[in-house]
Amino acid sequence: MKHLLFIILAIFSIQLSAQQKQFSKDDNGKFIYYQVVDSLQLDKDTLLQRAKSFVNVAYKKSMRQENATDSSVLAKGTMIIDKTILVAGHPSGEVSYNFVFEARKGKYRFWLTDLLFIPYQRDRYGNFVATTKIGVPLERTPGKLSAGAWKDILNSAYNKIEKFSGDFKKYLATNKVEKAQKKAETISTKKW
Amino acid sequence: MKKLLTAIFAMASTTCALAQETPTSPLEISGSVDTYFKYDFAKNPLNGRTSFVTDHNSVSLGMIDIALKKKTGKASFVGELSFGPRGQSQSIPDASQDALTPAKSSFNIQNLYINYDFTDQFSMTAGYMGTFIGYEVISPVGNFNYSTSYLFTNGPFQNAGIKATYKFSDKVSLMAGLFNDWNVYSASRGVSAIGGQLMVAPVEGWTAYINALSGAGFGGYGTIIDLTTSYQITEKFKLGLNAANYDIKDSSVPGSYAGAALYPQFAVLDAVTLGLRGEYFKFKAAGAVPATAFTAVTLTANIKSGGLTFIPEVRLDHNSDKPFFKEGGASAPNGGQFSLAAVYAF
Repeated sequence: MKHLLFIILAIFSIQLSAQQKQFSKDDNGKFIYYQVVDSLQLDKDTLLQRAKSFVNVAYKKSMRQENATDSSVLAKGTMIIDKTILVAGHPSGEVSYNFVFEARKGKYRFWLTDLLFIPYQRDRYGNFVATTKIGVPLERTPGKLSAGAWKDILNSAYNKIEKFSGDFKKYLATNKVEKAQKKAETISTKKW
Repeated sequence: MKKLLTAIFAMASTTCALAQETPTSPLEISGSVDTYFKYDFAKNPLNGRTSFVTDHNSVSLGMIDIALKKKTGKASFVGELSFGPRGQSQSIPDASQDALTPAKSSFNIQNLYINYDFTDQFSMTAGYMGTFIGYEVISPVGNFNYSTSYLFTNGPFQNAGIKATYKFSDKVSLMAGLFNDWNVYSASRGVSAIGGQLMVAPVEGWTAYINALSGAGFGGYGTIIDLTTSYQITEKFKLGLNAANYDIKDSSVPGSYAGAALYPQFAVLDAVTLGLRGEYFKFKAAGAVPATAFTAVTLTANIKSGGLTFIPEVRLDHNSDKPFFKEGGASAPNGGQFSLAAVYAF
């Protein structure tokens, strides 16, 4: 009985924690995912170089650099939103975004905004493809009929952006470019 | 033909060997379930001259459709099966049927193919695929209207074959392929048809497909030319067009046709879209059989709530040669029906 109570409480806590995940709004009322990160060990140029490498190498299939200065990178990107049922699922749409990165000595910040959702539909070949090119702003208030589905999209988009944020911070903290240039270690069996 | 196929397979296997391993995507599972009620205004189920939605004054079944897709590196497969009247006895061919076994109406294969992306631009696909011809498809999830057009009913449903697609850019791609005759799992007249598709997207939101398929098909050998295009003009308004011409080589065999259908759709609310389908379709004269022409107007609403779509629809058909029936059985120039369908996509 105690175990059952514990499981129910645990599930309830997880649900509460999941509900708390939501986008903040910027001055214009648009959703924004905003992060400021201290990075005392890296200088501004290194941060900038790694941010450019992230956009143009690591995420090149889903991001496109639009502009860059000596302290910032601007890019556009898309991320696929999945509809998951247990272990299987399929893409339900994509969210496009504008990405801004700015570096200073000892810290950097980045944010994603202008979030637009484009729904996918299964085509005649069984592939999920965009039904339209015109995206719907994630900030919109959906009607009653589509409120549940929209909430799922928001949750999924937030989780994807959190993962993106984690990947980005990890990429900037570790020098992936230098690692890639190192030769693979060879083992000789002639001498031992 | 054999040499060409051998060259294609040799090229495919060489590139396979050179390909690097890339991450595996999870198994995608998707599908749909649909059911409908139809009421024919003349109380005659024979007035339905196009595919599906056959029963009168009955809550009837569409189909359950289940699709699997997986991609490993550059290779992927799609397997899609359907069960139910829409996906079996009303579609062709029956998967239980072969040269020795008569049709038992078991299930229908919608898609069963393997694809390989040689590069980001070039891919090849082999197997049994939904046809590249036309605007409408068998799956109710892929159509706005629940009933189907004359162009859909009389064109190919699926093509088995091998095709290569080259994507020049996001705005232009070209497909060319060799196919069996229409709607068969194995060729009855050899790999006897050649087909191609040019896709152009001149402006954002507008996509046009110019399709051609020549070879063994309905009524013998023939050639179909097809234009399928849709333009999302604003967030709320979309316009679609399908026009096709099919000529059977032997002009004495009936079945050649020409037609066009226009599909304006307008989102009146967040979850409600209204759409009209206006179609003109003509069977051409063949030998002693005279030409005959249909016009049809279909008013449809899509009311969406999550994966569920309600589709109320009114359809009116006209043919001056009186192929329709009045309530007492007399021939009539007009047919009409109301239907309400529920389609759930997952």
